[in-house]
Amino acid sequence: MRAQRISKAVAVGAALALALTACAPGGGNAPSESAGTSESSNGSNSAEPANSGLADLGDITTKDDEIKVTVGAPEFIGYNTNTPQTYSTYNSAIVDRVLSGFSYFGTDGVIYANDDLVSYEKTSDDPLTIKYTINPDAKWSDGTDITTADAVLAWATQNANLKNAKGKQLFDSVSADLGDTVPKGPEGDPEGKEFTVTFKNPDPDWQIQSWMGAPAHVVAKQGGMSTTEFVEAVRADDAKAITKAAEFWNTGWTTKPGTLPDPELIPSSGPYKLKSWSAGQSVTLEANENYYGTPAATKTLTFRFVDDGAMVQALQNKDLDVISPQPTVDTLAQLEALGDAVNIQKGDTLTWEHLDFNFRDKAAFKDSVELRQAFAMCVPREDIVNNLIKPLNPEAKVFNAREVFPFQENYDAVVEASYDGRYDAVDIEGAKKILEEQDAVGTSVRIGYSAPNPRRTDQVAMIKSSCDAAGFKVEDAGDPKFFAPGGTQERGDYDVALFAWAGSGQITSGQNIYATDKPQNYGEFSNKEVDAAWERLATSMDPAVHLEETKNIEKLLWDELFGIPLFAHPGLSASSADLENVRHTATQSQIVWNAEQWVRAE
Amino acid sequence: MLKFILKRLGASIGILFAASLLLYVLVINSGDPLWDLRESIADNRDYLMQQRSDYMNLDMPWYQRYWTWLVGVGGCFALKCDLGTNIQGIEVSGILASAATSTLRLVVLATVLAAVIGIAIGVLTAIRQYSGLDYGVTFLTFLFFSLPVFWAAVMLKEYMAIGYNDWMKEPSFSTTQIIIVALLFGFLMQVFLAGTMRRRIITFAVSAAFVGVVIPYLLWLNFFRYPQLGPAAIVVLSLAVALSATAMSVGVRNKQVLYPALITVGLGLGIYYATFSLMSEPNTWILIIGGILAVLIPGAIGHFMGGRHRRIAASVSAVTGLVFAGLTVVDHIFRAWPGFLSLKPRPIGTIGSETPNFGGDFWEIFLDRGAQLLLPTILLAVISLASYSRYTRASMLEVGQQDYIRTARSKGLSERTVIFRHAFRNALIPIATIAAFDFAGLIGGAVITESVFGWKGMGDMFITGLKGIDPAPVMAFFLITGTAAVLFNMLADIFYALLDPRIRV
Repeated sequence: MRAQRISKAVAVGAALALALTACAPGGGNAPSESAGTSESSNGSNSAEPANSGLADLGDITTKDDEIKVTVGAPEFIGYNTNTPQTYSTYNSAIVDRVLSGFSYFGTDGVIYANDDLVSYEKTSDDPLTIKYTINPDAKWSDGTDITTADAVLAWATQNANLKNAKGKQLFDSVSADLGDTVPKGPEGDPEGKEFTVTFKNPDPDWQIQSWMGAPAHVVAKQGGMSTTEFVEAVRADDAKAITKAAEFWNTGWTTKPGTLPDPELIPSSGPYKLKSWSAGQSVTLEANENYYGTPAATKTLTFRFVDDGAMVQALQNKDLDVISPQPTVDTLAQLEALGDAVNIQKGDTLTWEHLDFNFRDKAAFKDSVELRQAFAMCVPREDIVNNLIKPLNPEAKVFNAREVFPFQENYDAVVEASYDGRYDAVDIEGAKKILEEQDAVGTSVRIGYSAPNPRRTDQVAMIKSSCDAAGFKVEDAGDPKFFAPGGTQERGDYDVALFAWAGSGQITSGQNIYATDKPQNYGEFSNKEVDAAWERLATSMDPAVHLEETKNIEKLLWDELFGIPLFAHPGLSASSADLENVRHTATQSQIVWNAEQWVRAE
Repeated sequence: MLKFILKRLGASIGILFAASLLLYVLVINSGDPLWDLRESIADNRDYLMQQRSDYMNLDMPWYQRYWTWLVGVGGCFALKCDLGTNIQGIEVSGILASAATSTLRLVVLATVLAAVIGIAIGVLTAIRQYSGLDYGVTFLTFLFFSLPVFWAAVMLKEYMAIGYNDWMKEPSFSTTQIIIVALLFGFLMQVFLAGTMRRRIITFAVSAAFVGVVIPYLLWLNFFRYPQLGPAAIVVLSLAVALSATAMSVGVRNKQVLYPALITVGLGLGIYYATFSLMSEPNTWILIIGGILAVLIPGAIGHFMGGRHRRIAASVSAVTGLVFAGLTVVDHIFRAWPGFLSLKPRPIGTIGSETPNFGGDFWEIFLDRGAQLLLPTILLAVISLASYSRYTRASMLEVGQQDYIRTARSKGLSERTVIFRHAFRNALIPIATIAAFDFAGLIGGAVITESVFGWKGMGDMFITGLKGIDPAPVMAFFLITGTAAVLFNMLADIFYALLDPRIRV
């Protein structure tokens, strides 16, 4: 439920979760007011959701029942998920139920404020200033008020200017830039509920900046000081004073598998609190009886650590109520064989597959937009989606954009402005003609990807059979070391790269991919107009400008053919038929994003 | 002998040391520990990579990393082990403790069962070499041996977990099912008991009829949901054991042996009532101590009343006492079953070593753990049956050719004495080696079994560590399995000496 900026620093977990598809995180999407996702869920809801955010369940009381869920086999790590060691989507799936954030992603990646905890408003565009007001009733489960001090801790942990004796960042955090982007941090009475933050530069992604994480009163106490002293030391840049507290934040919550830290060290700010942990087996959450917002619908939520291959039978045997296996045709068939006993949630995810041209020294498509066009004409996008994706997600569509997804509101407008549909159908003759004109018949095309990956091997085979007919010579250059140091990608020994980006819900993250000399611009594409458009987008706070520039960028990328978008990866999860409110989400928060609303029907 | 052991130990430590160096270098070179970050889009990717590099000492040369690890492990001699931390910052010693416990729980029972049943099958098939039973059993053990673990696990879950649980809601057998089960049981019984055609037909008819009557009776009792044994059945069964054990050893007329056995049954009944409430809510220690007493006390009775047969009397009484105690435990488990079913309506789970948040009394927890252990144990045991039974069979057949067996037969010893006292004991010698190796290997965990049944044991620790290019857990795994291999290898040698006086040094 927590949406935070550090999801930008994706890292361990996200990449692990995506290991099978070998995606790299990235992409982004413009916020829109509301939009329907392409989910094709036949689940039942106790209250129909009004938009892609959490549904309003009305007045509910916690039901004394247990729901068992799995998001995968990896073991729980610990309460603090923001150190480089503990940052993992599996760990976050559990801890996000316990530690609330100021905002969360809806099922289509739209950002919503967490109304239970906070209200915020932008008070100025230049400099960008946001005023946050924490719910007066909001308390940690141990009774301490949630205050500005907690936001100051969140800021301190992401502030690289606080250094230890060895000159390293004091808080061993996955995020390090908040000290520079918001130099003064949250300003307000540490014991109060209101604070403002002032950004140095405009940041269109300010909404997912993380201002709420671990409890400041616990960290301060472990550091041998009062919460106020802690806040003062942080604001005074007094790294020495808070060294002990920072050390606790870094490692104090990491315990032996199976042993949770002392309950007073792990209070909850969310609808659930950590109750017990059985090493290698499960973590049990219990409804937080002091929760200030809508209470959890079910009292006990148990996360079990289960391998993909064992999930479907465990669901059938009612050892689990909700599962989220890797989407494969076999798994889906097994689930469908269970008939009415289960609800299957299918739909797109924010991870999308694409072919990217290589613009580096020896690559075949480097200098010729005509050859790129010829290749785009012969890639059988429709067939790829029909054969490989539709069996998993009947609603899947060929993807015609990079920065917005088909299930998002602006998609149609953006596509209409940027792409005329010329590569929708395979045009072998057209491609052949271009190749002949360019005297390039027989051009060899090495498609590189991170192997083994059966789906990508299939895609390359389909592209090969189509493009070879047009006169290309397609080679499958799949390699386990594609992304490794010294691997195919780094050496540039490929013409087209086939991989996926995982959308992070950010507006500006695409700049890293498409602008000149940016770290994720692997093919070294460079276009001045694109660079300029990104600059305008990233420095503006106006959604209309964002939309306009997105159209502009997409059109340039289609005209220049940066690459060819293919499809959004399908997502799959399933739940017992008697469970209500289990909803597919396209984001990386996974199926558990609204776990506090799940309840067994009477 | 001591010198021999010490020499072996010295050599083993050298081997372990060299192997650890080799493994460490192989592990840290087996891939790129930063692979996941390289594909990251995070704008602070380099910072994250630097953090991990620092954390895992990636910038040190390999010998320095190995040395750091070795110094930590060397602390073990000073009782201050430092096995390092894994990539997630968790102490490996903690992970190792829970992984080892979980693996031991998983494999010990399976190994013991596989060894006992496998050896029994081996002996039986050797005695009935080239019979239908021999071929049938050989076929089956090889079939099991070649089962793909993953597939077999799925099948077991489908029928023995999901199918059984569905059936358990309302246990029933159709008439056809009863007939088929009865015929099958009768057929198997005549195969096992063998004999002349007439005897086979009688065995078949009696056992088939028995099943045909018992199943409807049990259904009528609703035995599958409310199983019951009761003191009367325990006494009857124990008496049967007392009588047959006496008959098989010295004959029922021998009162020196029979009386202590009968007294044991009587005493057992008294204790059954005396300990009833204690046994309704026992703990593991009570059970262990009870089990020991159930052997010692009857053994003492037999010893003092047995006169010149005191050894036989003591063992007969001890066996009777143990059986009585065992049946008492079964009785209490039966009593706990309905309560267990209400706590866990689907008794056999497909995943996990326990039901999360299972709050029952001792027997209910016992049943829960047992039910979770059932499927993986069956799978592991069935797969390793083949090696034990085939080795035993070959070994028995070879021993059967020896001169001393012929001598034993020709001097008129009974076939039972020949087989068990002369042939079997000698045939066991090579089996000891296999068992030792097998056990050492099993401590390494059963990677696939662990992952399909959702246990996090040694295998899982190893594979997760290796995938993450994370040396600490892999090396911890190596320390345990390597030491176990060396240790059990040595134990096997010592066993050799015990079992075979000829090689005593």
